Amino acid sequence: MEDPADALDRLMADARAGDRKAYRQFLAEASGRIRAMLSRKVGADSELEDVLQESLIALHEKRHTLDPGRPVGPWMYAIANYKLIDHWRKRGRSRLVLDDEADMDVAADTFAGMDIAALLGELPEAQAEAIRMTHIEGMTNREAAERLGIGTSAMKLRVHRGMLRLKEIVDQPKT
Amino acid sequence: MNNINSVLDQLASEGAAPPPGQGLRFAGPLLAVLVLCAMGVTVVFDGAFASMARHGMGPIAVKWGFSIALLALCGLALLILGKPGRPSNAAMFAVAIPFVPVLALLGFELAIAGPLVYGETWRECLAAMLVMSPIAFAGAISGARSLAPTNTRRAGLVAGLFGGAVAMTAYAPFCPELGMAYMAVFYLLPILTMALLGWALGPKLLRW
Repeated sequence: MEDPADALDRLMADARAGDRKAYRQFLAEASGRIRAMLSRKVGADSELEDVLQESLIALHEKRHTLDPGRPVGPWMYAIANYKLIDHWRKRGRSRLVLDDEADMDVAADTFAGMDIAALLGELPEAQAEAIRMTHIEGMTNREAAERLGIGTSAMKLRVHRGMLRLKEIVDQPKT
Repeated sequence: MNNINSVLDQLASEGAAPPPGQGLRFAGPLLAVLVLCAMGVTVVFDGAFASMARHGMGPIAVKWGFSIALLALCGLALLILGKPGRPSNAAMFAVAIPFVPVLALLGFELAIAGPLVYGETWRECLAAMLVMSPIAFAGAISGARSLAPTNTRRAGLVAGLFGGAVAMTAYAPFCPELGMAYMAVFYLLPILTMALLGWALGPKLLRW
């Protein structure tokens, strides 16, 4: 039975020798191991998928930083850890879990009978646009994120913050 | 999961061989700022090595010994810090080594002669350090960004030290001043300030 660490090293060595199948296998193997590591640290599945995807892209883009002959494991986990920390940092240093349902903290009938266009006008444009796309045009967070060219987590965060801000506006006593 | 599979297919289709020219993308900016600063001081100042006739090789040997050792060790440390998973404590320890003999000489000078901080050309020296350090720092950041530093504070700090070391290396042949206290105030302090700036800015500038 081959040591799992050796398997990664062997696949990467074969891949560097020009074997694309071995590289596909290496990436799949790395994906499984990074997913296992992330699942111990990240709550929401959607968030895990985002960090996993970013980590895999980083592994590929920064593959020249792995010196030939050095073990793949420490290199791979260092990149995945960096991407995870960077993800948390981007999210504003909080470990707030942003599932697709996160903005459902705001009750569905909160805005019933209100002029939504006017309400959205009071939000920063980025948040208003995010809510318009996901809650009026019916796109998923991922679809809206792709349209704007931002990460899905960033889109969720915009929607979440926008919804909370809208709730604050609605809850303000009228003068 | 399907999404991840399509990402894997796309990445695998590009192959595992590193894109060519990566070494140059790291070393190029570091060497470029060194050459740029050396040429810059040659254009602006006159009398390179003029003080050697009066004072011999000693002063320039101390200045260049320190600054060239520092910039070489910083270049090496940046390379190590840019490779994820590589232990970097030894590299960080190594960049501190050039400060040891300089501080020892400073202690010796203070003990026998007291502080000799004043030098007639301190304005030129300070201006050269203040102008060239950030330029060389930018080169080091650019080189480091071609790699993948995961400890961006450390890498920023080393880039700052490199920036200061390049500035000192470029200006030192034009500097007629002698005292170790002078060197501490007008070279070491700007270098350490640049390092502090690098430490503070590293996470922003080196994010990837």
